[in-house]
Amino acid sequence: MPDVDREPFELFLILEARLLDGRRFRDWRDLFTEDGYYWVPAAPGQESPEDSASLFYDDRELMQTRIDRLEHPRIHIQTPPSRTVHLVSNVTVEAADEASGEYTVASNMMMTEYRLGRQRLFAGRQTHALVRAGNGFRIRSKRVDLINCDSAFEAMAVPI
Amino acid sequence: MDGTAPSQLRALVTPERVHRSVYTDPALFELEMARIWGRAWIYVGHESQVKSPGDFFSTRIGRQPVVMVRHSDGSVRVLYNRCGHRGAMVVAEESGHADAFTCCYHGWRYDTDGRLLSVPLPDGYGDGFDLSDPALGMVPVARAASYRGFVFASLAADGPDLKAFLGHMATSLDDLVDRAPDGAIALDAGMHRYVYRGNWKLQVENVLDSYHVPFSHASTVNRKGEQFSRREGDRTGAKVVAQKKTSDAWKGRRSYVTGPGHGWTSNTALDDGKRSSPSFDAYRKTLADKVGAARADEILTPQYHNSMIYPNISIMGLNMHVRVIKPLAVDLTEVTIYPVRLLGAPDEFNSRNIRLLNVTHSAASFVQTDDLEAFRRAQEGLQSQQSDWVDISRGLGEERPDTKYNAVGELATHEMAVRAQYQAWAEYMGRTG
Ligand code: FES
Ligand SMILES: [Fe+2]
Repeated sequence: MPDVDREPFELFLILEARLLDGRRFRDWRDLFTEDGYYWVPAAPGQESPEDSASLFYDDRELMQTRIDRLEHPRIHIQTPPSRTVHLVSNVTVEAADEASGEYTVASNMMMTEYRLGRQRLFAGRQTHALVRAGNGFRIRSKRVDLINCDSAFEAMAVPI
Repeated sequence: MDGTAPSQLRALVTPERVHRSVYTDPALFELEMARIWGRAWIYVGHESQVKSPGDFFSTRIGRQPVVMVRHSDGSVRVLYNRCGHRGAMVVAEESGHADAFTCCYHGWRYDTDGRLLSVPLPDGYGDGFDLSDPALGMVPVARAASYRGFVFASLAADGPDLKAFLGHMATSLDDLVDRAPDGAIALDAGMHRYVYRGNWKLQVENVLDSYHVPFSHASTVNRKGEQFSRREGDRTGAKVVAQKKTSDAWKGRRSYVTGPGHGWTSNTALDDGKRSSPSFDAYRKTLADKVGAARADEILTPQYHNSMIYPNISIMGLNMHVRVIKPLAVDLTEVTIYPVRLLGAPDEFNSRNIRLLNVTHSAASFVQTDDLEAFRRAQEGLQSQQSDWVDISRGLGEERPDTKYNAVGELATHEMAVRAQYQAWAEYMGRTG
């Protein structure tokens, strides 16, 4: 593991989670680079989103469509909206290229979601490809491997 | 439920309404498991899921665990997934490969046709114990058959054969499979799975319900009333809003019913002539090279949007997938959705279909999730005793025989297809023999 101070990365992931929990989806999307993508595989160890089904596989354009829908008054699956809390932990910098400012950061996540009297828990391992931008970072890719990614889910409306 | 006499069961469905207990009564659910799921041809899986001898796929018919497996002779078998000894489920994995199946409990071993091969400590059994007794094996279900790679099984020894059961719906499977330049499809691109707290028939109805689309899926529509594109090569999606200027799109959309509860909706009003993209054009060329330009044009003007083969499989032609419905309890249903890969089509084309399906049908999709909310609320609402009846009368009396399809046709935004499903339901449920 590269000898890099993990604190700024940890802080970045915490702030990202805060945007999701605050339903600040547009700000969340803006964390991604123009060619950035968000991927939640539907099978453990899935190698590619191109040849197999995924729970989420959004580029920026698709993220925007998703967000437009999340802000639409007639999104029935979010009437009332979900409340979520993310926990991000066990953060490690797996790879670092200081010259180009590119980093791979691994972490564990849990998201508790509450809606209409029911609470459920998502847990998984996430991998962020980050690129340095000014004082912070932008997300080139975010992959979330839920431990139950291949199970049958009740409807999910908000990004994990 | 007051009684299970055939006349009482049939009385739960009238031409224009359905009794709410049909969705909520656990005793009726039990009876459905025997009389519908125990009789009809139930879609089990696709041959592409078991490519080589020893490949298996485990699933359920109704609530009963079964395993579909390719035997060493190349044939596909459907076996009850139950040990002939003391009944443990033998195959625990959802899919995989095995030369033989071994029960985890006492170690009985079975061939891939279900024959009992060996038991540990055989000395403990008397002379009457015969390994070749079929009752000691993993027993094949009463009937299994396939059509163009789609494997169906019936738990009943008697009844119409698969061809007669499918009837005209076979052409819906043809419509999909013929799109593949190699003449075969594969369901090997993963799957979407969702579960909802509602009766299985809510999903079955919904597949052929175009009435809900403009309202239920309003959040997927832009200011011009168009949905996002769901098919590779289309610049925009279908117009789905109920405003006057766009509602004409619905007038051309028909639904048809045929056979025991089956039906389909005709193709969405999209501009097939203008469909173009690098991967679509490459696909069209590959197909035309195989089947000729005229036939390719015919294939690429699909007749089917959504098809429902009652009670458990639907096919969507728009963003191509196969949907399998599994009842778990009267108020709990699981659905699995397989992206279709057209064999012989360019990878990029298949990939686009897979990616578009994430958007419409994953558990986190833009479309399916609002349906799931509707199913859940329907199940809750039906707990109320406000009325004992559910209304399905929309368009009643406007059904017309359609000679082109040898079916009965109607506007897709009417409820004919739902009524036909409940007529089939009453016919299955009211039959004792
Ligand atoms: S229950 Fe399977 S070997 Fe005994
Ligand atoms: Fe729908």
